[in-house]
Amino acid sequence: MEAALEVTGVTKTFGSTRAVDELNLVVPRGATYGLIGPSGAGKTTAIRMIMSILFPDRGTLTVLGKKSALEAKDRIGYLPEERGVYRRMRVNAFLRYLAALKGVPTAEADARAHVLLEKLGLPDVAKKKCEDLSKGMLQRVQFVGAIINRPDLLILDEPFSGLDPVSVRVLRDLIAEEQKRGATILFSTHVMANAEELCQQIVMIHKGRKVLDDPMSGLRRQFDTRRILLDPLDPAADLGALRTIAGVEHIKANGEGCEITLAANTQPGEMIRAVASLVAPARIEFARVRLEDVFIRLVSGTAGTDESAQALRTHLQGLGAEGAVA
Amino acid sequence: MNSRIGLVAKREFVVTVTSKGFLIGLLIMPALALLFFALVPRILGGSTPQIRGDVEVIDGTGQLIGDLRAALAPAAITARAVANARGSGAPTPPRAPPELALLERPRDVSVEQEKNWLTAGTKEQPRIALIVIHPDAVERSGGNGDFGGYDLYVANGVNDATESVIYDSVRQALVTTRLRAKGLEVPAIESAMRVPRPNAIVVSAGRQTERHGFSRALPFICGLLLFLGVITGGQTLMTSTVEEKSNRVVEVLLAAVSPLDLMWGKLLGQLGVGLVVMGVYVGLGLLGLSQFRMLSQVDPQLVVFLFAFYLVTYLMFGSLMLSVGAAVNQIADAQSLMGPIMLLLLTPYILAPIIGQAPNSTFSVVVSFIPPVNTFAMMARLASDTPPPIWQALLTIVVGLAGAAVCVWFAARIFRISLLLHGKPPNLATLIRWARMS
Repeated sequence: MEAALEVTGVTKTFGSTRAVDELNLVVPRGATYGLIGPSGAGKTTAIRMIMSILFPDRGTLTVLGKKSALEAKDRIGYLPEERGVYRRMRVNAFLRYLAALKGVPTAEADARAHVLLEKLGLPDVAKKKCEDLSKGMLQRVQFVGAIINRPDLLILDEPFSGLDPVSVRVLRDLIAEEQKRGATILFSTHVMANAEELCQQIVMIHKGRKVLDDPMSGLRRQFDTRRILLDPLDPAADLGALRTIAGVEHIKANGEGCEITLAANTQPGEMIRAVASLVAPARIEFARVRLEDVFIRLVSGTAGTDESAQALRTHLQGLGAEGAVA
Repeated sequence: MNSRIGLVAKREFVVTVTSKGFLIGLLIMPALALLFFALVPRILGGSTPQIRGDVEVIDGTGQLIGDLRAALAPAAITARAVANARGSGAPTPPRAPPELALLERPRDVSVEQEKNWLTAGTKEQPRIALIVIHPDAVERSGGNGDFGGYDLYVANGVNDATESVIYDSVRQALVTTRLRAKGLEVPAIESAMRVPRPNAIVVSAGRQTERHGFSRALPFICGLLLFLGVITGGQTLMTSTVEEKSNRVVEVLLAAVSPLDLMWGKLLGQLGVGLVVMGVYVGLGLLGLSQFRMLSQVDPQLVVFLFAFYLVTYLMFGSLMLSVGAAVNQIADAQSLMGPIMLLLLTPYILAPIIGQAPNSTFSVVVSFIPPVNTFAMMARLASDTPPPIWQALLTIVVGLAGAAVCVWFAARIFRISLLLHGKPPNLATLIRWARMS
């Protein structure tokens, strides 16, 4: 099957900074790819080159079978990281204009905008001026603008940035709907939790270079955390007793419960049973692989990496509450 | 034309021409012209204070008083004002007739004492001037070749207009008295001195045109129209680009159109705005001329060239202004980059008097082929009484289009590279470097 996007050996340099370095990427049609990495990793530059907003110094791109996104712009939806509106324009006029630029007739654009705005909880904003909307409302309107042409390829650059938890959830649902419709989705984020939830394939970029390109399911197997998360039924339960279980390497208190690190060569199923027999659990499960752990493990092994793991972790967790709480 | 370019152009045009700022700006020029021609003379006339008060004269000649009294008579003052206004071409402001009382003082009176008289005036009975005529003002004393003159003392607060009336009156009285003293017939001499000045009729192959005030002003008017069209479209182009950049809406647009399409759309949209401005002003101007039966003073070919030159000039300056808008993040940052562009736009006004005096001199011809001022120079030459041959005007368009192509090329490179750049505003050298590297 023809790929929706093929990036081969793409490099972009600004002055002495190599923003993207020999990037190779193939996104099959219908797939959802997450482009992740800390701020400044080169995600936005890569996306701008895919959109033909910037042009690579080296390398080639194929977008929806065309040699440049310029030839397929009507079939692409794009939500840039730095997104804006014409503040004095009315919402319906703004969406109509964006739709017209993508070849959608006015009547059809109005109908689609009506449905999408309603889905996003903005049924009454069509005739309002953009400057009268809150930031969260504006971001939803901008998302409508990105998908109003029912794109075959949807590129979202930090789509959840600055959104409140409710808006994040609404947006995730709409992205999932686009996924079901058959759109290929590529989105960048530095908030790993969002990528974990939505993506089938993860592409990690660090200092302009691709450091990982794997399916999410493979990552879970490959980067098995060997950690059990336990919330005891009785908050006063003696968690120290768990140290007596053979194969328990480390126990770390975590809120009302704890995180138990297992030694290599232990059988996870047996360990779960052993833990549950000593401390009655309210919740017990294996910790899922976290992309931030994978990322840190990958870049820590890279020569010349100077960030501390903790600084990276803070960054990748979304600089606090941004988008990660939903 | 690419449909996306058309859509961007349409939006740019509609948003601009329906804005309140544009409508006010468009109407303000005709409104100001109306005010100037219709209301200002009345206001000026209404606000000019009446010339009124006592004037003392010490006549050292003993011969002048009669003629001075005649020269200071209200009818004589008004007649001189009308004659002067006709000579300068300015409208005569209506004014209340002057009321000047001439008081003669003996020749042996102390001038110092009379100066005190000048300071004792009241609001109801103002004392405005003391004129001391020298004894040799009418007949030369001894072998001296020059006539004597007079001294003028005025009260504090006497305005320039009153002072001028007194100067003119004394001058007229002295000349009349001197002529009479020589036994010359004054009315005959005055009549002999009066030669009406006709409007020159310029004769060229196939037509004759009368040169008058309007035809002299026409090159300036055409240049002004060209300037207004370019500056209106260009300035809006720059501000709308800065706004799109600072609003961060530009990357949303670039998702749907290429940078080049966006640039052309904006250029063409504002080209239309400039055309509306020019169309309105030219239309109103022609309407005004038709009211005064002066429509024949304007050659229709001139109007065609005006619009053709506008297209060329706009493409040159509009694209440069667009590149400035794309390069900066806020209007304030644009000022330093706009400086050289504004200087180029104003250069024709420095050249206009030189071209106006000799429209077909070597200098005028050479300037007509040097972009970006060539269109202004050629417009001034075409509007003059001795227009150049048509091939020169067409060559100006060709050269202008070449200049426009260079400007658009430069703007396209700046536009593409700088639209998504934020931070320190670039200087001219940086812009040139960007154009070379992109």
